[in-house]
Amino acid sequence: MSAGLAALAARLDEAARTATATAQLIETHPDLTTEDAYAIQRLSIQRRWQRGETRAGFKMGLTSRAKMQQVGVSEVTWGRLTNAMRQQEGGSLRRSAFVHPRAEPEIAYIIGKPLAGEVSAVEAMRAVEAVAPAMEIIDSRYANFKFSLPDVIADNSSSSAFFIGSWVRPETDVANLGIVLEVDGRAVEIGSSAAILGHPVRALVAAARLLGRAGESLMPGDILLAGAATAAHALRPGEHIRAAIQNLGAVSFTVEA
Amino acid sequence: MDGTNIQTAADLLFAAGRDGAPIAPVRGLLPEGDVAAAYSVQALNTERALAAGRRLVGRKIGLTSLAVQRQLGVDQPDYGMLFADMARGDGEDIAAREVLQPKVEAEIAFILGRDLADAELTVADLFLAVEYAVPAVEIVCSRIANWDIRITDTIADNASSGLYVLGSRPARLTGFDPLLCGMVMERAGEPVSVGAGAACLGSPLNAALWLAKTMARLGRPLRAGDTILSGALGPMVAARPGDVFDVRIEGLGAVRAAFAKE
Repeated sequence: MSAGLAALAARLDEAARTATATAQLIETHPDLTTEDAYAIQRLSIQRRWQRGETRAGFKMGLTSRAKMQQVGVSEVTWGRLTNAMRQQEGGSLRRSAFVHPRAEPEIAYIIGKPLAGEVSAVEAMRAVEAVAPAMEIIDSRYANFKFSLPDVIADNSSSSAFFIGSWVRPETDVANLGIVLEVDGRAVEIGSSAAILGHPVRALVAAARLLGRAGESLMPGDILLAGAATAAHALRPGEHIRAAIQNLGAVSFTVEA
Repeated sequence: MDGTNIQTAADLLFAAGRDGAPIAPVRGLLPEGDVAAAYSVQALNTERALAAGRRLVGRKIGLTSLAVQRQLGVDQPDYGMLFADMARGDGEDIAAREVLQPKVEAEIAFILGRDLADAELTVADLFLAVEYAVPAVEIVCSRIANWDIRITDTIADNASSGLYVLGSRPARLTGFDPLLCGMVMERAGEPVSVGAGAACLGSPLNAALWLAKTMARLGRPLRAGDTILSGALGPMVAARPGDVFDVRIEGLGAVRAAFAKE
């Protein structure tokens, strides 16, 4: 099946590169497993490494009960971040470089010490060098943002770009920080970082466990996006997007055509 | 406006609360969308409560979320009366017979240290008048069966108020961020509602100021000692017997609403 997986990986990579929606993989491959999906994700991202992109870290997905129930799973998912996905905070994002991009506010960890496997929250926090307010741009490569669990995992958990604000000290309490996502100065989504598995550090613990299981680990310099704290906002050209997070600060950008 | 119908609606709502038996909507008795008529219904039952010796201790503000306002087709919040017998202690058991179709909301309560009698109030007056802020759980109830409410139903029904629980540790307004404070409400360790201060009309202080101005204009101003339940910071959640809800508001504190097992 590995040749088949490589072809699916190429299809998703091409869809992302050309900002063109593709059909769900399970339409033609109904037996696709979660393991197959992570293999496709790896193969797809390898194509980016070959184009010269470099590792920036990982993102966690399905970190809220609501989203898990939507997809009918009880485990979080993960995806990979590359340097090309990182955008300039305060800068602009080209809408046309994506299929149907949405922004969601997140908490970002930067890793200071290697971390993998079964770890406690305390061990996980000791590996953190700093935390920051962040926004992730999610962009499913599937038509109408519709997908099954293997589909979304293969599609790098919909990750496509991210913005990071100013880093603050790692001991900053991020358990229950108020978050307001604004469009042109108007609040469109309001929530708390507690929406991320009850505490964002649980996403970090889950990242260590799941990456360890996949033979990977969090390494110094890696960024970990811990998961969405509110529903995502679909981006339209001209919009100014800002996420303000209690005690951490704000991240913003403007959407270009 | 037909005074008989207003009296009838008030009587029906009063009896529903007294008997613990929800009734059909009362909106059919009132002109459609007539908020003033609905407040007249509420006022009749307020007078009835005061005549029976119940002590008025504050107000609750409802419809402070723009999404909920849109659902009900209105562009402003509403208010209801808080009486002393509606207050419950932090973590104290609440029996099923004390509530009717209960739902819980996490809010910030303000306790006033001075009167707000002037109709020309600003937020600065509020800074000076608020002695304490404290996390609160409002247990909203509806005397209308299945919560089949429109704007006039809920206003007539004392803004669907039921009981409320204040946290045990009052704080100063200067000690936390009323706008960006995170809120999480957990049941058995599971977040069931999350939000932030901004979900309440942009800031709970905006809601409190609207209430203070409205009350002063109507000639029943807020007084020193009054409690203001300023409005939900996140979605409301239905409560069942045995449920324990823990609310944490970042920078402000915590409060627990505990429902007795059947």
